Amino acid sequence: MKKFRFYVIFLFLFVSLVGCAETKILEQIGLTTLVGYDQGDEEKLSVTAVVRQVNPEAQSNVVIFTNEDATSKGTNIKATRQSSKKLVNGQMRVVLFGDELAKNGVHHLTDTLLQNPDVSNSLYTAVVEGQTKSLLEFQYENIEDIGQHIFKLLEQNIQEELTVSSTLHEVSHDYHSLGRDMAMPILKRDDQLIEINGVALFKEGEMVGNLSIADGFYLKLVRDKYDSGMIETILKGDDIPPSLKKNKSDEIPLVFDTIRSEKDFKLIDKTTPEFDLHLTLKARLLEIRTDINVGDPKTVAELEKAISKNLSNELSRVIAYCQEVGSDIFGFGEYYRSAVRNSKLTQEKWDELYKDAKVNINIDFTILRNGVFE
Amino acid sequence: MKKLSPKDMINAFLLFFVIHSTQVGVGIHGFQRIVYQDAKHDAWISVLLIGVVSHIIVIFMIKTLEMYDSNDLYGIHQDVFGKWVGNLLNIIYILYCSTAFFSVLRNYIEVIHAWIFPNLSTWFLSASLLLVVIYAFTGGLRLMVGISFFSIILSVWLIPMLIFPFKFSISSSIFPILETNIIPILKGAYSMTFTIIGFELLNIIYPFIKDKENVKKHVHLGLLATTVLYLSIMLVSLTYFSGGELAKTIWATLTLFSIVRFPFIERFEFIAICYWMLIILPNLCLYMWAAYRGFSRLVNISAKKFIWIFSVIIFIFSIAVQTRTQINMINNQFAKVAFYIVFVYPIFLYVVAALKKKFTSQKEQKE
Repeated sequence: MKKFRFYVIFLFLFVSLVGCAETKILEQIGLTTLVGYDQGDEEKLSVTAVVRQVNPEAQSNVVIFTNEDATSKGTNIKATRQSSKKLVNGQMRVVLFGDELAKNGVHHLTDTLLQNPDVSNSLYTAVVEGQTKSLLEFQYENIEDIGQHIFKLLEQNIQEELTVSSTLHEVSHDYHSLGRDMAMPILKRDDQLIEINGVALFKEGEMVGNLSIADGFYLKLVRDKYDSGMIETILKGDDIPPSLKKNKSDEIPLVFDTIRSEKDFKLIDKTTPEFDLHLTLKARLLEIRTDINVGDPKTVAELEKAISKNLSNELSRVIAYCQEVGSDIFGFGEYYRSAVRNSKLTQEKWDELYKDAKVNINIDFTILRNGVFE
Repeated sequence: MKKLSPKDMINAFLLFFVIHSTQVGVGIHGFQRIVYQDAKHDAWISVLLIGVVSHIIVIFMIKTLEMYDSNDLYGIHQDVFGKWVGNLLNIIYILYCSTAFFSVLRNYIEVIHAWIFPNLSTWFLSASLLLVVIYAFTGGLRLMVGISFFSIILSVWLIPMLIFPFKFSISSSIFPILETNIIPILKGAYSMTFTIIGFELLNIIYPFIKDKENVKKHVHLGLLATTVLYLSIMLVSLTYFSGGELAKTIWATLTLFSIVRFPFIERFEFIAICYWMLIILPNLCLYMWAAYRGFSRLVNISAKKFIWIFSVIIFIFSIAVQTRTQINMINNQFAKVAFYIVFVYPIFLYVVAALKKKFTSQKEQKE
């Protein structure tokens, strides 16, 4: 028995030591950190890959490959031919789509990414205004590694709740779900900087419209919820209660932060359909550009009312725009499906319903505090 | 049959670990999709249902075993059905255990191929896993039960990882509850077979339990733990994935792990998959052991000889099966047979055994 055990251990060690699995040595591989997809000529796909290479003797460098082919993997093969190192996808963190391609549909690409086990589901996706190629290949003075820079940019903004979260998982979740469309941030090059410029609205995987970054706030308000968001809004004309209209200036700009929001949907009529949307917001007043005494409870109450009114006006404008372009990014359809028994909802049926959907907005806004100096 | 010495026996509380660890294996990787195909967003009800059914089946199993005190299923077969029919049933059961062993092994290798090492050859993975199992097997039953124990204790930390995908959950996905008709829900429960089987090994391990009066409690606790685990994974999956996505995700549990990201480890699912070897190890060991118990009743064979023959056969089969379609076909066919063996047969056996007992006791009274 002892002898037998010895042989088993020996054989086991033999197999495990001789049969090493595939190795990926850092110095011999190029890490693809960011991939940008553009619409190429004649139905082809143009792919720009940002590859980080680690060299033992010199500083690590970033190389950008651009290739065109019919499939995304085809361009990968082409890029490998140009590279001295083996290209791997395990560190891919961002995928960008050119807006022309986004308008033609991106769902094939997101499905391909999901299919590949090397690609993490937590990578970020975004749309680029114009071509991703020109955005990535531009020589920025202060940006050393464009792949890492864009990743940090998106990560930071999504965590700070300044734009919609668009991980690969969320994007494909929304694409495959009935009655919820996907949304991605839009990136744009502004001279030496890259900035988030808005939110792209999709309908069944095709980009159909976009919202400004300010309107993106309302989108996130209904679609998601806030834990520590920030917003600037301007009270204008009729929104301002008469008691606060002291100095005839017809605008009160306000900034809030640490916003916490809660939403409550209710379907009140399933034939139209009509929704009741009740939002509860709690926030801290950060800045106010008029001489209003925010220490006075009466003023604060009036201010809160005015802000609620202002926000619901803005929100209904954003919802109307989304209905116009036919993109249900708020997930009303998903809610409808879950609230109506045996709805037998199909995409076509919901498209019809969504166009005429009515949303009654009711916002309850509370100013919690206003800093340490009144 | 020689009497078991207390040294070979195990405590009843260890049954909790045996039952739970044999139930959880490779099925858990991707059961969500299969159940979802039938039961849609009510798939969690199917999971709950099959969990309840497994409790009921176990009641019958234990009742049958109690009639014979310290005999296993193979002995009961021989007693109830006589030598020839009994042995035929024993052969079927041995084949069932061997197929279960093979299915677990091949599915795990497929997962490794699909997720981590597409180029690694099947023979290598299969040979190294078989060697580990042979090594464990030579240690005897108590060692294998020990593996079950540690397999669970050491992998409990995987469960809290569900919190990461839970953050992305949208609760409205599971509403309206019970929208699907009862037939599709039952069908969904039926497709859970492959995932939930494993507790039938109680039939074989029963004579080895020291304190038999505590068997019931620990077996039911083990089953309950499995049902709760499956139910929570199902609920997280249903809310994390959208319907269309879940229908296309082959190994939904592993994809759930794909969203987990730590500063020190970027791709958590790779760790989870490798770690899974520890989870399937008790499955492999105990199924092999169960097959051996049956086989040794038919043929006088030493344990050593048996495992080598068994391993070589499994090894050859595991190389022969290459594509995903073949593996899926084997899984489906196996699940169909397993449903009858695990969920239907115990009730039948109980009825026959009870009738026989009544009959013989009446006879004895007359005499």
